[in-house]
Amino acid sequence: MSVGMIVLAVMSVLVLLGVGQRVLDKMQLTDRAALMLMALIFVGGLAPDVVLGRVSLNVGGALVPLGVCVYLLIRADTKKEVGRALLGSVLTAGAVYLLSAVMPDEPEDIVIDPNYVYGLVGGAVAYVLGRSRRGAFICGVLGVILADIAVALVNWGNGISQMLYLGSAGAMDVVVISGFLAVLLSELVGEIMERMARRTRENHDPVYSPVKGGKQK
Amino acid sequence: MKKRLVLLVLLCCMGAFPALSEEAQEGKVYTIQKADGALITHLSGAPDVGDEYIAGDNGHFRITAVDHTTLTAQAEYLGVYVLPDVSWLDENAQPVTAQRRAVAMYCTHSDESYIPTDGKSSDEDRGGIYDVAEEFKAALEEEGITVYYSDETHHPHDAGAYRRSRATASRLVEQGVDAVMDIHRDGIEDPSSYESTVDGEEMTKVRLLVGRSNQNAASNKAFAAQIKAVADEMYPGLIKDIYIGKGTYNQDLLPQAVLLEFGTYTNDKNEVMASTGHMAQVMNKTLYGGVTGPAPAAETKEENTSAWTGVIWLVVAVVAGVGIYAFVSTGSGKGAMEKMKGTFRELGGSVTGKKKE
Repeated sequence: MSVGMIVLAVMSVLVLLGVGQRVLDKMQLTDRAALMLMALIFVGGLAPDVVLGRVSLNVGGALVPLGVCVYLLIRADTKKEVGRALLGSVLTAGAVYLLSAVMPDEPEDIVIDPNYVYGLVGGAVAYVLGRSRRGAFICGVLGVILADIAVALVNWGNGISQMLYLGSAGAMDVVVISGFLAVLLSELVGEIMERMARRTRENHDPVYSPVKGGKQK
Repeated sequence: MKKRLVLLVLLCCMGAFPALSEEAQEGKVYTIQKADGALITHLSGAPDVGDEYIAGDNGHFRITAVDHTTLTAQAEYLGVYVLPDVSWLDENAQPVTAQRRAVAMYCTHSDESYIPTDGKSSDEDRGGIYDVAEEFKAALEEEGITVYYSDETHHPHDAGAYRRSRATASRLVEQGVDAVMDIHRDGIEDPSSYESTVDGEEMTKVRLLVGRSNQNAASNKAFAAQIKAVADEMYPGLIKDIYIGKGTYNQDLLPQAVLLEFGTYTNDKNEVMASTGHMAQVMNKTLYGGVTGPAPAAETKEENTSAWTGVIWLVVAVVAGVGIYAFVSTGSGKGAMEKMKGTFRELGGSVTGKKKE
């Protein structure tokens, strides 16, 4: 492998590490904990899958992100927030399943790569439901996993004996990418909405302090 | 909450309707032509403005307009595409013994089949494409190459198929392979577009498809060009062409990744399988040069250039992404610069452990 290719591979990993660290950092995790989790996702992605019958779970691509979801649900401020995150996950899963079925099957025919669409759907659902970064991560991760399970159930129901792989591409899996993308979308939309709200308040109330402005969870 | 739910339903509808209208184009074959209407090629699926095409005679085109009503696309001629120099093929090749040679292979669209021999174009159990893949695997092994082959299925054949096959591709790439190949058959109706006589033998051609939407795009394209250059020298008429289209095709997982279209669904599968032996020899020469020692210098240079293009692409994408976010959240150029600096400083600090928590 040429030097350029090695640099390219290392750069790709660093970018994912950097983006992932920033995303996790925004969800009740310290900088170092976020970095540790990213390392776990990378290392766990290389570990052998946990196989349970016809289901194969990757440590970095599924178990660690699922663990983060459980942690976020436990640390949620209210039961309402938990409910929204779970409802959002089911809605995201439904949207992912529907989009997979109705979108063209060839990537060149699709406006946005399916690998990224699911994260954007998760982010949109989570933002609309709860304006929450934490909710967005849960929707992105659980939404894709639930949609994968739904596809497997349909396959098995049709007599197709196909393994269900969850997060098998490790750090590069759609489960991880969707979780991060959902948070990034939620973050971007949130920032735009918050800035618009601040500007409106400033126009109406000259003594308004931005500290009073609503913040995302 | 009710307001949000209504908004959510509207959002889902907005997402679904363009998708449904796109679905209407599924399976349709587009005609790519020059400005004067002269035929260039056919493509199963919609081309996109900016896609590139390298014809069998190395004519290089770029799609400039697409009409989804008439299923036609216009392409501008960019000149003759200069393939990599493969003059080293003329040298007396020595068998490689010291070097570990390994490639990976899988089939994303598990249903793809050939009507004349399989009876149908799509088999929801296990398509005829697996027979082609297994024949190709055996031919590669005859060349002394270790093949990490997955016969996993990725049903159904929908927009999620590449997502499911990503897991397979990723597991294969982890084996430390030199290249990863996704085996397909085309969806063009006319079988003659793939029929060929190579080395006096009747067989079908192979179309190479690479995506242009990932950081490895330049490397993937260079790899495909290298395959065509070697094939044109060894077995003229074997490689149909190269299409560089929108999409990732999981080729972001390895710089040397390519999608191979072995014939089309109206071809006889036996003729398709007849091409696998020649294709295996081409892959062997492309990847290993057939000589002991390092890869030819020209190939390494090409590979390096492509990889550095990918690195630059990645850096630009990251800086642009952070910049857009910073500008959106602050609303001013100065504020955006400050926020960008802060983001990179924080990230650097957390990596080195210098930042207070």
